[in-house]
Amino acid sequence: MNQRQIVDRLIGVLTSLRLTVVCLVLAIVLVFMGTLEQVDLGLYKVQNEFFRGFFIWWTPPHWGMAIPVFPGGYLVGDVLVLNLISSHFKRFTLTADKAGIWMVHFGLILLLFGQFLTDRLSRESTLHLREGQSRNYSESERESELAIIDRTDPMADSVVAVPQRALMRQKEIRQSALPFVVKVRAFYANSKVAERAPNAAGPPAATQGAGKHATVEREPRVTDMEQRDVPSAVVELVAPQGSLGTWLVSEYVNEPQEVACNQRTYQLAMRLRRFYKPFSLQLVEFRHDVYPGTDTPKNFSSRVLLQRPDRGEKREVLIYMNNPLRYGGETFYQASFDKDDHGTVLQVVHNPSWLTPYFSCILVGAGLVWQFLTHLLGFTLKRKTAPAGSAPAPASASAPASAALAFKQTK
Amino acid sequence: MVNYLSVDPGHPKFGWWGLLCLAVAVAGCGRNDAQAYRVAKEPAPPEAAAPGLPAGHPDTSSVQPKLQYKAPAGWQEVPPGQIRVASFRVTGTGGKQADVSVVPLPGQAGSDLDNVNRWRGQVGLPAVAAEELPKLAQTVEIARQEAQLYEQAGPVPGSGETNRILAAVLRRGGIAWFFKMTGDDGLVAQQKPVFEEFLKSLNLAAPAGPSDLPPSHPPIGGAGMTPALAPMTGMASPGAAKPNWKVPPGWEEVPGGQFLAAKFVIHGSGAEQAAVNVSSSPGEGGGFLGNVNRWRSQLGLAQLTESEADKLVTPLEVHGGKAMVVDMSGTAPGAGQKARLVGAVIRQADRTWFYKLMGSEPVVEREKAAFTEFVRTAQYAGLKQTKDQ
Repeated sequence: MNQRQIVDRLIGVLTSLRLTVVCLVLAIVLVFMGTLEQVDLGLYKVQNEFFRGFFIWWTPPHWGMAIPVFPGGYLVGDVLVLNLISSHFKRFTLTADKAGIWMVHFGLILLLFGQFLTDRLSRESTLHLREGQSRNYSESERESELAIIDRTDPMADSVVAVPQRALMRQKEIRQSALPFVVKVRAFYANSKVAERAPNAAGPPAATQGAGKHATVEREPRVTDMEQRDVPSAVVELVAPQGSLGTWLVSEYVNEPQEVACNQRTYQLAMRLRRFYKPFSLQLVEFRHDVYPGTDTPKNFSSRVLLQRPDRGEKREVLIYMNNPLRYGGETFYQASFDKDDHGTVLQVVHNPSWLTPYFSCILVGAGLVWQFLTHLLGFTLKRKTAPAGSAPAPASASAPASAALAFKQTK
Repeated sequence: MVNYLSVDPGHPKFGWWGLLCLAVAVAGCGRNDAQAYRVAKEPAPPEAAAPGLPAGHPDTSSVQPKLQYKAPAGWQEVPPGQIRVASFRVTGTGGKQADVSVVPLPGQAGSDLDNVNRWRGQVGLPAVAAEELPKLAQTVEIARQEAQLYEQAGPVPGSGETNRILAAVLRRGGIAWFFKMTGDDGLVAQQKPVFEEFLKSLNLAAPAGPSDLPPSHPPIGGAGMTPALAPMTGMASPGAAKPNWKVPPGWEEVPGGQFLAAKFVIHGSGAEQAAVNVSSSPGEGGGFLGNVNRWRSQLGLAQLTESEADKLVTPLEVHGGKAMVVDMSGTAPGAGQKARLVGAVIRQADRTWFYKLMGSEPVVEREKAAFTEFVRTAQYAGLKQTKDQ
């Protein structure tokens, strides 16, 4: 078999409708399995393990490595998109009567591709403000980061932020801004930190800072939607002159942990991951109105002051239900509030591809309308020209309601 | 792929799609790498942050209650360190010492069983099973909320000295507060009333966070709600308006704290007394069975199945529906005193109300009829409004 034959065969497989069916069946099985596993693993873990990967991985007992056991969402989705595109190019030519099918197909491709973009590029976080408080960053709802903060400069802090995922996968973190290397000695995706009894048998969690008087234990990962893990890590800071010791970093540790190195003082803090912005929002007033005589909510709104010094921008904005603030590529939704009605929680969504579903729907809708009208027109003309009493051709009269039907008709 | 495209231009061209996908995939990468940046120093929030938080620490002021206390006489305040928010040293005769600590941890911070067994291990005692736990618990009041106090004493492994540990856990607003006194057996035993009084006198300022559960609410899930975690969807549930009721004579209304709709104290002869707590939760509030079993644990009684719990129920017609009333007697764990509890659960459309009369047997027996009438005649603002409309 020469190269050309191999290529032809590959294209044959890629453009086959069997592959479409296989992908759809795999997608159904994947969704079914994911739904069942959601009970034990929780929504976020299932999303990551089943749908946001090319394979579902499983580590057999006593094995040191994981093996792929089923195609993941990315693989099924990518193959389906490739199959759709290649089938389309192979089977259809761009003519006026097929323009609708082209539009429907491209709409579907755009929808799938847009979802892929959303998955890769979108980010959700929250911005919690008390009345009068101003912030120029939002925080992740679930993910933490290790912040190493050089606070020597009285005007600004120099921060090296190591996301939780980097702590999970990397054994060593080197940053030119730091005079030491951060070696991750242990990482606990969910943890419990307790004060260590003086007579405790086991060693303390770390040799420096709060970890000298604490123990850390691994906790089962949280699967409840309303809760999240509290990660901890034991890190060793290694300067050129040698190890500075190990530190326990965790949200459980309330007080600053300081490290002196090269005449500078650094603070270590495990905190919710921050996303800084070139502007700030200040909560002027939060309102929680109820219908008179009841506790039924009528309105939740946050009046915020938006300030962007580099553009000289300073204006008040009212954010309320179904009326978010769209600014700087992000959307700020009214999401929750403090019990005392003096604080607000805004959901901050950064999704560069937020318009793709709209374009997709417009494209698919227009394609279907076009296809329907061309067939209707053809049917009407045929009916007018057909001899009296003869029945119209049934197949051409039905408008293709789906891409699958369109495939069938053209075969 | 590129080769074959150049071989036959008639074949479909996938190149730019592949490149685009690759570009997007690459664009998504690197978001989880370490980043270095400079930020202006953050101004202090309008309300003082919780004590002991570092400047770079996430603002947990919204959910971390602030501890207000007054050190009892003879207790020497010492720097709390990095995990504690308050720390004391108590010195007894002969240089014997005890250590008092207050440690707030986010979430549930382990189950009571885990914690008790950890403390037992510190004084050389064997671990206990879950069913034995209620027998070790003593109900105490911490900052106007009921909590469990566990007392363990035994020889310290290694040293052979006998130590005693008094430890209480209070879970409120997504924070598990650990109050612990450890030290010489005799000194801690002597200091126990002082420690209990200290717990009672504490003031935990209301957390302003968006999530909270009333004390009567059973725990949700195994792990804890964590700091600064806003509800993922929807709005926080607004609290319910206090029902309109007629308070029976002899019931003294006392501050119930932020989580109780009302609290009444009823005095009996001598030191005997009972208390009535009224609270409500959105939705089912943990369900009837969960609450009955929680009440049973307060009486040192075994947990029931749903069918067993149903047999205890006496239905009661109330405004806007039906109440499920249970009447149980037992021994308050730890205190070793006999106690009786009459509880009523009223399920409404979107909210569940909990009424609890608990205290010494004679007082509860005397007040049961008044309590039942109190529950029966209470009128709820939302329901009244609906009827009026």
